[in-house]
Amino acid sequence: MIDCKVLIVSATACLLANAALASECPDGFPSDNVNFQVGFGAGGGTDTVARKVASDLEMATGWTVVVENMPGASGGVMARGLTKKNPDGLTIGVVSNTTVAINPHVNPDIGYTHEDFKYLGTGMVLNYGLVTLEENPYDTLEEFVAMAKEKGRATVSVGASSHTIAVDAIAEHFGIRLVSIPGKGSAAALQEALGGHVDATIQGTQHVPQIKAGKMVQLATLTENRAVYAPDAKTLQESGVDLSIEGHIIFIAPKETPDDIAACLASHIMDVTTSDDYADYMEGLEASAGNMGVQGTTDWVASASAFYGDRLAK
Amino acid sequence: MADYSLLISGLADVFTLTNLLFIVIGVTLGQLVGATPGLSIIMALAIAVPLTYGLDTLTAIAFLISVNKGGTVGGAVPSILLNVPGTPESAATALDGYPMAQKGKPMKAMKYALYHSVLGDLSSDVVLILLAAPLAVVALKMGPVEISALMILAFTIISGLVGDSMIKGLIAASFGILLATVGLDPGMASPRFTFGMLELYDGVPLTAVSIGALAMSGVLVGLISLQGKPGSQSAIQITGRPREDSVVTFAEFFANRYVALRAFIIGTIIGAIPGLGSTTAGFLSYSVNKQAAKDPEAFGTGDARGIAASETANSAVVGANLIPLLTLGIPGNIAAALLVSAFMIHGMQPGPLLFEEQGRLIYGMFGAMLIANFCNLGVGQFGMRFWALIVSAPGTVIYPAAMLLCFAGSYVITGATFGVYVMICAAIFGYLMRSFGFSIVAFIVAFLLTPQLENSVLKARLIMDDDLSLLLDHPVALALLAMAVASVVFLGPKKKSRRSDIPAATGQ
Repeated sequence: MIDCKVLIVSATACLLANAALASECPDGFPSDNVNFQVGFGAGGGTDTVARKVASDLEMATGWTVVVENMPGASGGVMARGLTKKNPDGLTIGVVSNTTVAINPHVNPDIGYTHEDFKYLGTGMVLNYGLVTLEENPYDTLEEFVAMAKEKGRATVSVGASSHTIAVDAIAEHFGIRLVSIPGKGSAAALQEALGGHVDATIQGTQHVPQIKAGKMVQLATLTENRAVYAPDAKTLQESGVDLSIEGHIIFIAPKETPDDIAACLASHIMDVTTSDDYADYMEGLEASAGNMGVQGTTDWVASASAFYGDRLAK
Repeated sequence: MADYSLLISGLADVFTLTNLLFIVIGVTLGQLVGATPGLSIIMALAIAVPLTYGLDTLTAIAFLISVNKGGTVGGAVPSILLNVPGTPESAATALDGYPMAQKGKPMKAMKYALYHSVLGDLSSDVVLILLAAPLAVVALKMGPVEISALMILAFTIISGLVGDSMIKGLIAASFGILLATVGLDPGMASPRFTFGMLELYDGVPLTAVSIGALAMSGVLVGLISLQGKPGSQSAIQITGRPREDSVVTFAEFFANRYVALRAFIIGTIIGAIPGLGSTTAGFLSYSVNKQAAKDPEAFGTGDARGIAASETANSAVVGANLIPLLTLGIPGNIAAALLVSAFMIHGMQPGPLLFEEQGRLIYGMFGAMLIANFCNLGVGQFGMRFWALIVSAPGTVIYPAAMLLCFAGSYVITGATFGVYVMICAAIFGYLMRSFGFSIVAFIVAFLLTPQLENSVLKARLIMDDDLSLLLDHPVALALLAMAVASVVFLGPKKKSRRSDIPAATGQ
């Protein structure tokens, strides 16, 4: 039963509900509440996405979707627990690429690999950039490199281990000494860059308003394509560095989840994350949904895992 | 300069019946959640954010800020009545609030907490409204080197909390430091003392430890003292108290003005620096005020100054926390991060452009904040009577109830029984510490500050490339370090001779 009366928020949501009817779910599913277990604390990016998708799913399908936060070890605590959950499709993990593609390589105690999950799609893509204060005398990657060569070293504040890998790759390519200043999350890293305590920082989304306000400049874009908000900043690949990193927020289920249930969940998540309302929401967060679908997500995680495994082994 | 027409129209926007109604609801909800140990204000906000989807932007933000403000007031209630901090930041309030309640002045203690909380909140809001932009710039200049120096200073100030024996205090603090090293190290992310337990990767959960060591161990002490006294009377008597034990006169309130001023300054500064938080502010202010007092031994025995120090400071953080959020887009703590997500849902992007693009809305929000403070006062006055009824139950009812809250609270933190195990271990540890006269507060504060110290020292080393001569480029850090040395030299020995036989730890 779909109750369109409650869909006062937007008309698109009602259309969405009809679209959702098209995706086949096995009879009697879900037999109980669907649980979203977020691998990070309340209030973070992953949590924000999980709560938005959960409430949209509720409206689109009439299910009850409960969001729980189970933080710890970059989503590792939740993900490891998820592998032991009953694969009935009622428990879905919401994690970041760090959880599935990096954690298993760095933490010997983690007890899972990226192959222990079924992937149901993605909810947000982070377009990383190397950014610096506008008042600094370097505006491009080349000038930054020249400054680092002259001074002997440069500091870059980072919020996650995948950022450190990018910093190391840039340093290696240009033969300069870059020191990663590790912080707890991107907000702390941004704070240090804004205060002028470091020479640059790697950021996902929080730097975009700073760029729009003219307080920061993007030295390089770390994704494959140039960023919309900084069209003049070259990608690392354009500058000759063989590296592109992006972040995703990923929906996962235990490996043994039946295929028909996984397909049903994945198609509902796809419907929700491709709605106009969702796109508007993402725009407000300076990000985009970029749901890669089941196969796309599975392939992307596999290649990201191989990439980080290779990099971290060095 | 400021555009006053924008200010007036923004403030006028907030005076609608709907907005005022949502502010009152928000404050009430916040106080209720804050007063319930285990239900954190973070959870309340996380749940409240989606509720505001359908609301008008200003109403939504006014509501969320009211929830946040209500929570800081509510948290003090169980700290005072049950010695169970409702929110981590009110843990320092329990140090004097609970003893005062035990002396038969629970209403007085709660009123001290309420008035000082509202005072701290109101003053820091005024600072936010008047000085947000310049303060944010100053706070940003506090880099890892300066924060390291500040943390070193905090440690030296906190040595005033060690209790009657310096050695025992240092041992307690060392335990706190040791426990804080559990988890992934901040530099290379290699696991330390985790024994292969994934749950320990992010360290031992602070809230579970403080609930266990401060509250649950106190419950154990209470239960043991109840033994063989069937039908014993209420742990804390509310009714039948003389009037002077239930009210706070203006003279009494005004007597704490210097304490409140110090606490307000500490709270505002800590709040303006992202990442330090209300809990640090509460304990730091408590320690500083204890150090500054002529009779530091009175602290911990139910001294109104202790309540004022903690509550003014932790509430002052709430307004000041919005300074980096609104002007720079950096959330100072998790509550502020949740507010960011709510702002963005309603099309406000916190950051350098916010005042230019949404000036009217921001002034409307400031208006809502000021109104919320007064609602806090009103709702608090009324709510206290309700809470007072609950705690007039006998100890045989109170202690099991407090115990249940301890269990629920530590479960919620981790979303799993792991938090409960940590809480039980901390409770046993805390009970032993109490029995042998070690300062639990020194232990908790060291545990709280060590990760910040470690993290900032690590970053400072990397930034300075281990070249100590570069410290000369950081005059603020040098000044803070000089203050640290001064506090050890001047306050240390003097305090030692002055320290009396009254232990500083809670509930002794």
